[in-house]
Amino acid sequence: MSFPANESIVLADAGVQIAPLDASGAGAKTILRPLSLELTERRIAVIGANGSGKSTLLRLLNGLVLPTSGTVRINGLDTQTQGAAVRRLVGFVFTDPLSQLIMPTPVEDVELSLRRLKLSKRERRDAAMSVLSSYGLDHLAHSSIYELSGGERQLVALASVLAVDPGILVLDEPSTLLDLRNTKLLRERLTALPQQLIISTHDLALALMCERVLVVDDAGIAFDGGPHEAVGWYRESVG
Amino acid sequence: MRGHASLIAGYVPGTSIFHRMLLWRKAVLLLLVAVLVLSFPAFPVWVGTIVTSVVLVAVVLAHFMARLPWSRLWRAVRLMLIFLLLIGVYQWWQFGPATAWTVIAAIVATVVASNILTSTTAIDELLDGLGALIRPLERFGADPERFSLTVALMLRSIPFILGAFSDVKDAARARGLERNLLARSLPVVIATVGYARATGEALAARGLGEACEPSGGNGVEPLAR
Ligand SMILES: Nc1ncnc2c1ncn2[C@@H]1O[C@H](COP(=O)(O)OP(=O)(O)O)[C@@H](O)[C@H]1O
Ligand SMILES: [Mg+2]
Repeated sequence: MSFPANESIVLADAGVQIAPLDASGAGAKTILRPLSLELTERRIAVIGANGSGKSTLLRLLNGLVLPTSGTVRINGLDTQTQGAAVRRLVGFVFTDPLSQLIMPTPVEDVELSLRRLKLSKRERRDAAMSVLSSYGLDHLAHSSIYELSGGERQLVALASVLAVDPGILVLDEPSTLLDLRNTKLLRERLTALPQQLIISTHDLALALMCERVLVVDDAGIAFDGGPHEAVGWYRESVG
Repeated sequence: MRGHASLIAGYVPGTSIFHRMLLWRKAVLLLLVAVLVLSFPAFPVWVGTIVTSVVLVAVVLAHFMARLPWSRLWRAVRLMLIFLLLIGVYQWWQFGPATAWTVIAAIVATVVASNILTSTTAIDELLDGLGALIRPLERFGADPERFSLTVALMLRSIPFILGAFSDVKDAARARGLERNLLARSLPVVIATVGYARATGEALAARGLGEACEPSGGNGVEPLAR
């Protein structure tokens, strides 16, 4: 393999299988068939039916799931052996912000993200507040996360992840729990970000705003191409 | 799910004397309350009763000095009402009314005092305090950051689990299964395991709680090997 370019995501024959429970092979299952991909576009959407393997593909990118065959490299770092370094590079946003937000208020949650920077308490609070205000969330800084609307929570979860400045942002169905208005708001926020984005979504309008769209079906990539062809293909295939 | 979480005690922002007091001073006061009221068996009953009653009054006054509402006081007590009642009845039967009162007052005073501490201390400060407490043990392999993160997660999981109980109760009622113990408990277990998994993943994804840089494995279990 050659030297990695900036923000290069390379999957080489990466597959995920559940090992059989016993010698008879019972319980074995392919969750993702071995695939080779190079993801270099600034914005990439992953679409497909529930259970097709979208989350597994995205989790491979930050080492939350390790390939059982092949390798996944982010800027040359192997997710298998350099997981912690990979996760510093790749921010991950989940569908349900409540499973991602740990502290009781947005400002404390952003501070938690910043703990790894070893700032003083004062500096950490200031840094957290400036992160929140740069995303227009400073008015929510001290609210309980339970009092926020679903859309606000997802924006706070996004800010917490962006606080440590990852070069790549992976989002797993970030708008699936949101209403139409918040879906639109999130779509606008996401497309304004400088990070490389890999987003799985059922929001086809968001997919159409990406440069490349992967259609996942039955544990493999069924279509890979430009947004209009891919979304068109997906619509056709659903019938 | 989890809509009931805001019912749970947490930090109440404010500027009272207790909000401004250094955490370690609050901790010493709390310890003092606990020692005073829990040492009553060492003294004659009437001494214990008087000391405990005075401490209880002082703690309740402190609650209002911290500008915390009545509802919070009541909530702290309500959670253990049945427990208090059982203990009270037993103590009365075994040792008489003075001891029963002393025991109940001691428990309530300690709970209300710790409630004041957690209500007037921001979680972040509490975590730093706990971390500082563990720091001397660092040379024996203790990790203060990990410890305070663990405590934060424990605090965070309480509203979730209580919320799950309440949701599952409603769901069981909607299906006419309110008398079915399995229908009321199994979904809570499943939801809690799912929540723990999701939180673990979210932590790993945020790079929290992992060692600085592993040589070799990265703390995430491979799906299958
Ligand atoms: N750890 C696992 N163990 C067993 N099966 C799994 C595991 N993770 C995912 N699967 C299965 O793999 C398939 C793909 O899951 P997933 O990647 O979550 O799909 P999607 O995100 O597209 O809905 C599903 O059938 C799911 O049940
Ligand atoms: Mg999924």
